[in-house]
Amino acid sequence: MKVPARARARVFLRSLFLQASWNTQGMQNLGFAWAIAPALEVLYPDPKARAAAGARHLEFFNCHPYAAAAILGAAVRLEEEIAAGAQGPAASTALKKALGPPFAALGDGFFWLALRPLASLLGVCGALVWRAPGAFLLLFAYDLVHLPARVWLFQRGYDQGPGVVEAVQRLRVPRATALLKLGAAALLGGFAALLLRGAAVEHGLALSLSTAAAAAAAWALLPRVRMGTLVALAAVAGLALGGRFH
Amino acid sequence: MLPLPPGGWSELIRDAAVGAAVSGLLAVERKGALQLMLSRPLVAGTLLGLLLGDPQDGAAAGALLELLFLGAVNLGGSVPPNETLLACALASALVPAGRALGHGADGPLVVLGLLALFPLADVGRWLERRGEERNSALARRALERAQAGDPAGLSLHLRGLTGPFFTSAALCGLGTLGSPLLAWAGAAMDRTPFGAGDSLFVLVGLGLAVSLRALREARAPKVALASALALGLLLAGVAP
Repeated sequence: MKVPARARARVFLRSLFLQASWNTQGMQNLGFAWAIAPALEVLYPDPKARAAAGARHLEFFNCHPYAAAAILGAAVRLEEEIAAGAQGPAASTALKKALGPPFAALGDGFFWLALRPLASLLGVCGALVWRAPGAFLLLFAYDLVHLPARVWLFQRGYDQGPGVVEAVQRLRVPRATALLKLGAAALLGGFAALLLRGAAVEHGLALSLSTAAAAAAAWALLPRVRMGTLVALAAVAGLALGGRFH
Repeated sequence: MLPLPPGGWSELIRDAAVGAAVSGLLAVERKGALQLMLSRPLVAGTLLGLLLGDPQDGAAAGALLELLFLGAVNLGGSVPPNETLLACALASALVPAGRALGHGADGPLVVLGLLALFPLADVGRWLERRGEERNSALARRALERAQAGDPAGLSLHLRGLTGPFFTSAALCGLGTLGSPLLAWAGAAMDRTPFGAGDSLFVLVGLGLAVSLRALREARAPKVALASALALGLLLAGVAP
């Protein structure tokens, strides 16, 4: 029996809430079980069988919340086979254990450590150039990539089951990650140049140089000194310099 | 007499309600739902600024926090400082304080607000950990119900969203109600000899260094420096 498209769409929408009950013991276990529930309703009309299938999905699970969409899609496909008797119930545990860690690493590297900093810096540059409306460039840059990626991962997971690994490998994500990080670094350099020039033009060369000196000093002190300490020092130094932002 | 926005306490209470509701929703969006990045400091600060009457002040504070917390990410089971709670509380307090002073949130006011509220990032982290422990109990109850043959126990999942919503809403609402104190301190700062210049730029310098470290890429410093020099020379050539 196939899970109809409508139920699969509900599973996908629920995957957007995967971490609502993130916990220290099972991590995303309850989120995963809640997300896959619409598919279980179709596959197991008997409440007792459905509860048993739900309990199976309450085992430990943790992954990157976007990349988990691929595993959720593959788990729906696998549940179809388990319900039909073509696979044993242990297959879903094996799937999650096998795919969870590599997809977590891939998602953390690409989305958290590359795409998000790049989008953040685009937003900060946007706010510098276009004032408040420019800040929303962050959302535009990030969501234009991440939302289609979540849909694609879920669909590929459902279509290909464990074969989703090969589909993702073909995307060359590590190379894209490195390029995004270098793009973010270039953007940060450009932002610093605009900022220092603006400070020199509007407030004098001394302020521009003190900003550059603060950046260099902080670079040398991080991460040995806690950020909270550095923020307090920078704030006090800023107040000693005295000033108005406008 | 504490400085208040033009509409007095009634306006401040309305602002506190708006700030609390939006901050609560953004706290939920940060980890539990959607994760569209609405809760990043830059977007959260701008949104709250827009709703409280000064998007530019919200964007300026948000941009500074965005740089300072560029590397704050949930990797595995780690819990970073809660940048969203800090951004929401700062914007909720700064914007009404700026309106009370009549000139918006200037540099000293932003720095004072940041100094006063920065510990909230760690408070938020502590609250998140406690929430995760409470969620473990939800998961255990769901499992017990499932093992007893009740599949509806899985819906306990969404109860995990209530904690972040209410704690963030309460703290940010209090931030707005406390904004007259910030406005009073900001007005006092303006009367000291330290009241001129640009107090935010040292923090921005720190933000640049933090952001570069957050990229965790060995070639990033060289690329950033090359980009800064190239654009600097270009700008100098265009408008020396």
